[in-house]
This record gives sequence, C-alpha cells and structure tokens, in this order.
Amino acid sequence: MRRLPREITPGAAARRTLLADCLIALVLALAAIALAAGIGVVGFAALLVLLVLVLWIAVEAGVRRVLRRRRRSAPPVRRRGRRAQVEDETGLDPLREEPTADQPR
Amino acid sequence: MPSARSERRPLPIPFWRRARRIFLLATIACLVPAGISWMGAMSQAHNVGLGVSSVEWLRQNGGGPIVTQIENWYYTLTAPSKGGPALSALPQVGVASSEGGGGKTAKAYRPPKVVPLIHPALPGEGVWKKAAAGAGPRPPVLVTTFRSDPEYPQFVAGVAWIDSARTELAYVPGLAEPPPPLAHRGSGEVPEGKRGRLVATFNGGFPLETSNAGLIYRGKVVEAMVDGVATVVEYRDGRIDIVKWESGASAPANVWFAKQNLPPIINNGKLNPNLSDGPEWGETVNNAVRVWRSGIGIDSRGNLLYAAANYQTVESLAKILQRAGAVRALELDINEDWTSFISYRHPGAVQPSNLLPEMFRPAERYLTPDERDFFALYLRPGQKW
Repeated sequence: MRRLPREITPGAAARRTLLADCLIALVLALAAIALAAGIGVVGFAALLVLLVLVLWIAVEAGVRRVLRRRRRSAPPVRRRGRRAQVEDETGLDPLREEPTADQPR
Repeated sequence: MPSARSERRPLPIPFWRRARRIFLLATIACLVPAGISWMGAMSQAHNVGLGVSSVEWLRQNGGGPIVTQIENWYYTLTAPSKGGPALSALPQVGVASSEGGGGKTAKAYRPPKVVPLIHPALPGEGVWKKAAAGAGPRPPVLVTTFRSDPEYPQFVAGVAWIDSARTELAYVPGLAEPPPPLAHRGSGEVPEGKRGRLVATFNGGFPLETSNAGLIYRGKVVEAMVDGVATVVEYRDGRIDIVKWESGASAPANVWFAKQNLPPIINNGKLNPNLSDGPEWGETVNNAVRVWRSGIGIDSRGNLLYAAANYQTVESLAKILQRAGAVRALELDINEDWTSFISYRHPGAVQPSNLLPEMFRPAERYLTPDERDFFALYLRPGQKW
C-alpha cells in the first residue's frame, strides 16, 4: 500500500483538506437525504442553512474589508522601540555600557 | 537542518471555519437533487403561481408539517380583530328576478330564506337568487349571502343551494390530484362536450395525502375508504348523498364515486361536538384558525348546499351550513387558492361568476386544466335551462 506523501507544498495540503471536507459533506448530505421525510424537507432546510451561511460569510467579509480600510486610512503610528522607552524611564541608554572604575575612560 | 518545504508549512484552518465549509458543501450537495425535483415539478402544467406550486411541491415531498406550521403562524399573526364598522351593503350575487328567463311561475320548491344573524338585516341578506340569467321558474342553483358571525360583522358568507332533482353531480379529477396513477383522469377541466349542460362548478376536498381519507372513482377504489369519515357519494342511479362512511375500505357495488374528507362537521342536523383540533382533521391548519374555508351539506329534502367564506373556523363554517339548512355536511378545501364556487349565467359555460366577488381564483378556473380535483354540476339530460 502506498502512503500519502508527507512532505507536500502548502497548496497540495490545502487541496487535500478540501477533498476531505468534500467527502465529509457528501456523507452528511446523503445521510440527510436518507433520514428526511422527503426531498422537499431536505431542500427547504438546505435553503435556510445556505441563507444563514451566505449571510455569515458576507458579514465576515464585510467586517474584514471595513477593518482593512480603516487601518489603511488611519495616520501611521510612530513606533518607539524598547530602547527609547527605557531611556525615557531611566534616563540611561540601556545599550550603552557604563564605564567601571577599573576601566579607563 | 529544516528543509525549505517544511519552513513553508501553511497555517492550519481554524476548526469553525472548516466546519462552516463542510456545512456549505453539504448544503449545496443537498440542494442539487432537491432542485432537480423542484424543477421537474415546476415544468409541469400549472394554473397557479410559482409560489403556490412550490408550496404544493414542498407539501408533497414530506414538507406537509412544515407548511402547516408556517400557515398556522401566518394566519394567527394576521388574524382579523373583532368588531369594526358595520357593512352598509352586501356584495351582489346571482341575478335579479327581472333578469330571469321567462316561463311560467309554476309552484316549485324553494328553500326557506336564510334568517339573518345580525339585525337590522341588509337588503337581500339571506334571500335566494337565481344563479343563471335564463333559468326558468325552477332554477337549478340559487345563491345568497349573509353576515355569518355577529362578532365579526364584516364577514360575508356565500351559500349556494342546488336542486338535486334537476342536476347531476360529477367528480372531475385534476391534473395532479388525485395523484397518479389514475385511469380516466381526463384533462382536468370541464369536458367540452358537457359544457352545454353545465350550471356550476366547485372545489373538491383536501389532497388525498393530507386528508386521511379515501376515494372511489368510476366505481373503483383509488384510495382505500375510511370508516367514520364524511363522504360525498354518488350512486349508480344518480342519487347524491353526504354520509358518514361505514361501508368498509372497498367500493360497494352501487357507488359510482365517493370522495371523503375529514370527519363530518354536521351529522343528523347537529354540529360535530368535536370541532376542535385533533389528528382526525388531517394535516392542515388548526381548525380554530380563520382562513378561507368551504363546505358542502345536504338538506332534509336531499338538495345540496355549498358554503364558502373568508376568515372562518371549522365551527363557524359548520354553523353557516347549518343555518342554511344542512343536516349533514363536510368541510371541503380551504385557503384562498383552492376555494371556488362558480356558476354560469348562460348555457354553454358562458359568463362564469364566482359566488363571492372576493374569491381569489378567476371564474374561468375550471374551464382550463386545474391541478386539483373538483365537482361539476350539470343539468340532468332532458332538463331545460
């Protein structure tokens, strides 16, 4: 028996996951069709679920777009490094070594 | 040393995002066969809108309880409020006496006027009028209207009285109801060859699937008959009756057609004491929900009475039929899409007219193929219009 290769590209890994998800979805759909009272019930319920999922995805995409736009339009924040913060707090430059008594100045 | 590939390992998808994707794919997989079934149903001949056809498809494919529940919610939310301004006039139904055809004013039986419930009575309330313009002194169909409920003074019931001695009743299968297979289905409309004698048409009962009832058509059992269920029967000698069926599942030799629908709403002149909800009332909106309802009864002389009105409960419909003189009665189809009583003013199915102006379906309904089964009333052979 040939084993699936472990070292694969990210794209191949994503495709492998998608295939697994498709198979799980197919099994779920077949179970729903077999257990439901009729295909009408399956269609009606599927339409409702589809509506909810599409709304969810749309809202999520909308929120993401708004956040991205806001981030782009906001003024750039000047980031101060740790060194500057320590210098502010202590008045000393943390990277600069203070000369010891035995060291020549 | 790690390889370049392992360094580029993708970020794992969050569990909830994967679950959502699986559900989305499963939903699409479910919609494919459902869509094929729906499109197949919609591609067949229809004379109702896409929405109504889709609801019917859902009902026929296991969705009956869903449809019923949604209907219950809808009709409960849109229920009319009691009271309101009184009506000043009733809708005009039938033809005035002056429009009637000539002929001698021979003494013929006429049913007694329906005594109005609300006083003062409006002009013409409960007074029987001819349904056909050219009808002689003994019209085969009479129609009237009256306000049927003092608590709702704006509701108007339409009632038709049918002279059984002058008419014969025929059960006409629709295109889809009763469901196939059915021998001698016909074209789902009043046959062309019989339109010369046509005096009226009216809706049938619930679909067989939802009525817990049986059907005998042309002497053969289409669906096993159920004892205790109200039944419109035509015997082979042409007699019509409305009975509480007690003859077993098979077809008695003397029965030509028998259409069952729910328990009787009036039996031996009395209202059914159990007009509340229960499984015996089929898979339909609750009996107390106010919708378009229709029913058929028989008076003590063996003449048929048809009644229909909007915003009726099963009990209020039964009271309308009882007030009009029915001693036995059953409920027929309900909802605005299925309730129709059409009389024809002239021979040849000319100038069809709905019993009540607010009836939703066009008056030409049964002159074109219809999905549901219905009843047609013809003048007996040899009878003059």
